[in-house]
Amino acid sequence: MSVSHPKFAVVGHPNKGKSSIVSSLALDDSVEISDTPGTTVRKCSFPLMVDGRILYELYDTPGFQRARYVLEWLKQHHVSADKKQEVVQVFIDEHRKDERFRDEVELLEPIMQGAGIIYVVDGSKPYGQEYEAEMEILRRTGQPSMALINLIEKDDYVQEWKRALEQYFKMVRVFNPMSATFKKHLQLLESMAQLKEEWIAPMKISIRYFERYHEQMLQQTAQTITQLIFASLSHVEQLELKDKEAGSVEEKKLEEMYKKTLRGLEYESQKNIETIWHHGHLQKEEKGLMFEHMDLFSKQSASIFGLTQKELIVTAATGGAITGAGVDLLFAGHTLLLGGAIGAVIGGASAYFGFEKLAKIDVLGQKLGQKYLQMGPMENQNFPFILLGRALYHAQSVASMSHARRERLKLEMNEAFKNQWLDENARKSLYRYHKKFQSKAQTDTKNLEAYEKLILEILRKCIDG
Amino acid sequence: MDLKSYLLLGELLKKRPATDRENRAFGLEHPLEQNNQIKQLSLWKQKHIAALKKPSEGDLFFSYLYIATMVLGVLVFIIGLFSGIGLLGYSGREPVNIVYFLTMVVFVPLCTMVLTILSMIQAHKPQNLLVHISPAFWMEKIFERLSSGKHPAMQNFKLDPRVGNWLVIERSQLFAWLFSWGLVVALLGTVVAKDIAFAWSSTLKVSPEEFHAFINMIAFSWRDWFPAAVPSLEVIEQSRYFRLGEKIDAGMIRHASMLGEWWKFLLCAALFYAIVLRFGMYLLAKIGLMRALKKSILNQKETMQLLHEMNDPLIVSSANEAHVSLEKSIHGYLRETTKLNTSYHAVLGWSYSKEEIAVLCDMAAIKTPLMLSVGGNNSLEEDSHAISRCKQEVLVCVKSWEPPTMDFVDFMQALEGQADKITVLPLGIPQDSYLPRSKALEVWAKKLASINNDKVWLKV
Repeated sequence: MSVSHPKFAVVGHPNKGKSSIVSSLALDDSVEISDTPGTTVRKCSFPLMVDGRILYELYDTPGFQRARYVLEWLKQHHVSADKKQEVVQVFIDEHRKDERFRDEVELLEPIMQGAGIIYVVDGSKPYGQEYEAEMEILRRTGQPSMALINLIEKDDYVQEWKRALEQYFKMVRVFNPMSATFKKHLQLLESMAQLKEEWIAPMKISIRYFERYHEQMLQQTAQTITQLIFASLSHVEQLELKDKEAGSVEEKKLEEMYKKTLRGLEYESQKNIETIWHHGHLQKEEKGLMFEHMDLFSKQSASIFGLTQKELIVTAATGGAITGAGVDLLFAGHTLLLGGAIGAVIGGASAYFGFEKLAKIDVLGQKLGQKYLQMGPMENQNFPFILLGRALYHAQSVASMSHARRERLKLEMNEAFKNQWLDENARKSLYRYHKKFQSKAQTDTKNLEAYEKLILEILRKCIDG
Repeated sequence: MDLKSYLLLGELLKKRPATDRENRAFGLEHPLEQNNQIKQLSLWKQKHIAALKKPSEGDLFFSYLYIATMVLGVLVFIIGLFSGIGLLGYSGREPVNIVYFLTMVVFVPLCTMVLTILSMIQAHKPQNLLVHISPAFWMEKIFERLSSGKHPAMQNFKLDPRVGNWLVIERSQLFAWLFSWGLVVALLGTVVAKDIAFAWSSTLKVSPEEFHAFINMIAFSWRDWFPAAVPSLEVIEQSRYFRLGEKIDAGMIRHASMLGEWWKFLLCAALFYAIVLRFGMYLLAKIGLMRALKKSILNQKETMQLLHEMNDPLIVSSANEAHVSLEKSIHGYLRETTKLNTSYHAVLGWSYSKEEIAVLCDMAAIKTPLMLSVGGNNSLEEDSHAISRCKQEVLVCVKSWEPPTMDFVDFMQALEGQADKITVLPLGIPQDSYLPRSKALEVWAKKLASINNDKVWLKV
């Protein structure tokens, strides 16, 4: 039996979360998962491929349906221990076309082709003797095996399962695909590598690639968020004026158009992030992973994700003081530090008076030509923090969401989130870049790259902990 | 990278003609280009260029730019030519003051070149005042207004403002160069066709010696190897012209041949300052434009994505085939009951031990002469034996949380041959007081319905 790369068959009783585990390990949310038993009818391969080269392969398999029949068939063939494997192969060969044993053939085939066994049980339900036939069949295949206790619900029967499973399996691990972090995911891969000595090296390479993959996803997310912030802050909305003068109706219309564009940018960015993290099923939903009843421009959003007026004034005053200090430095201190003081006052005052205001509305155009109303770039200094907070929270939720999850996930409001990522240093650095993005003329690629780096660091903190 | 490649590549990148797998395969096919991103992008463009429908936006913009450049180029040459003819206009009554021509071929080019250098320094900013005050920028705008305009497909065409800046700078140099050629041709033409008396004149108190030194300074680049093109002090003295008198000085007439000597100097000055230096500026602007194009294309998110797809290993962990689903609707028949009898001929426990069945019967106050454990760890033979002992009404207790397998269905099909009525009682876990959860009941109902036998009842 020659094995070119490690293979693992995820097997078990029907409806014990085999597909969820495969979905989670393969980062593939297209796997059909249902609480109806027997959703998986054919084995399905999930290879980890790097440039077309398979590093390891996972098999999702149907559950055992007639384990006792299979075991009795195997028992009828009395052979020495070294021949037991061959009997299992004979069973497969003889029953390949027998519809009654379709599921057993499907699940045993990859094992007999050299796949390691990952036997999945539900640790939130009591242990039962009916599992013993399945475990005995698996033992007879002679393949390296481990058991995974999946906690589907909140009840905990892990200890009694452990006692039973340890009699059949070399390794027993608890793994909840719904809540497993990336670290747990890698730990499980490490455990799987231990099943066979020759699998250790390729699995280590796989883990390295997974880490690289994870890093790539983080970088792409940081890039998407940077683009969102820059595009939103520098956006300018224009409305052609039919009359020569602009009334409040036109101003209101323009403001709505401006807000709609910014909402659209946020929506697009969220969709991109969901694609980066392989949550394609969210794409099928009309709204994806959205903030329920919490508009981007709502007060609720501002209070949860934005800075308080005090925080903003302090940040703006500090920013202004730094700029003013530059002037002081230019005059070698002969200004008696007035530059810093004036800068702080201007910064603080602009934050105080502009706390509610979004952006300036201007009437532009030549005297004889077409006139138009213009809104933007964004002047509000709190808005970037609100938008960024929402983007980070969304990214964190998507990145930590299990690929085994199929139900719609609501983004709940989390007031503690801001404290998790926004410290004083980050606030000051971000504020500096936001100011540059708001005055489009000052933005160059270097600023965007530096901002992206900053976001990447914050994302690492939020997602990887 | 030239402008056309930049435009076509930008358009192609937005079109995404290849999948991530194809892009990675391309990256692996060209390993040597991994460190030369522009070359790699150029090869990729060549491979996929057919995906763009003709004429592409890039083609349209490029041909528009070409026509605009051609028209404006010819126009500025003609303006230069006429300016030159005007500046060298000689009536025979008074000499041609070289200071005007010198201003146009030396001082104006030097000033505009300084401004060009300043705008080059600022070209990385999207809003660049110096670029926007450039004549080329406004000529372009006027051309756009006067001509039938851009192709409709190009109305919304947007160019990176930084590239736009360099494009204006580069074309300004080209136009200035062509304008200068107009002046040079005018000078040569006038010199060939007319006998011009050149002179110099100034209201300022400039002595011929000072003027000679100044002329020498201007001629620094050719005075050593082409001294004939540097007017001597004598020529300068003789060609000084005072307007008072309203006629040519008699001395000037005597040295008429000397006055014509100036043309060599003017030609060399025009060639050096307005042609050679300007051409140098044009080349510098061209390099700047190429660098801006390179920077702009590499900073586009589509480019970053493509380079990532080509150069980073393609990691795929998802299924390579569609998952087969069994979500088929089961049509069957199942009777349901809400009450249990007080007695049954037999109570069977599927995967329950005899002791557990006894406890369950006690709890539900069910009397039965026969309690049997089936399924679970029992052998098939033991199950057959249990079935053979059943008759009349039978209660089968099952673990509701364990979904029914085909093993159970086989058992039920065998049991229905023996019993008159089979009631299946799904039970919950002890912590739930043995009450089943509704979802589990649904699963059992579905499976039992697939048996499609009116002897089978489900206790709900």
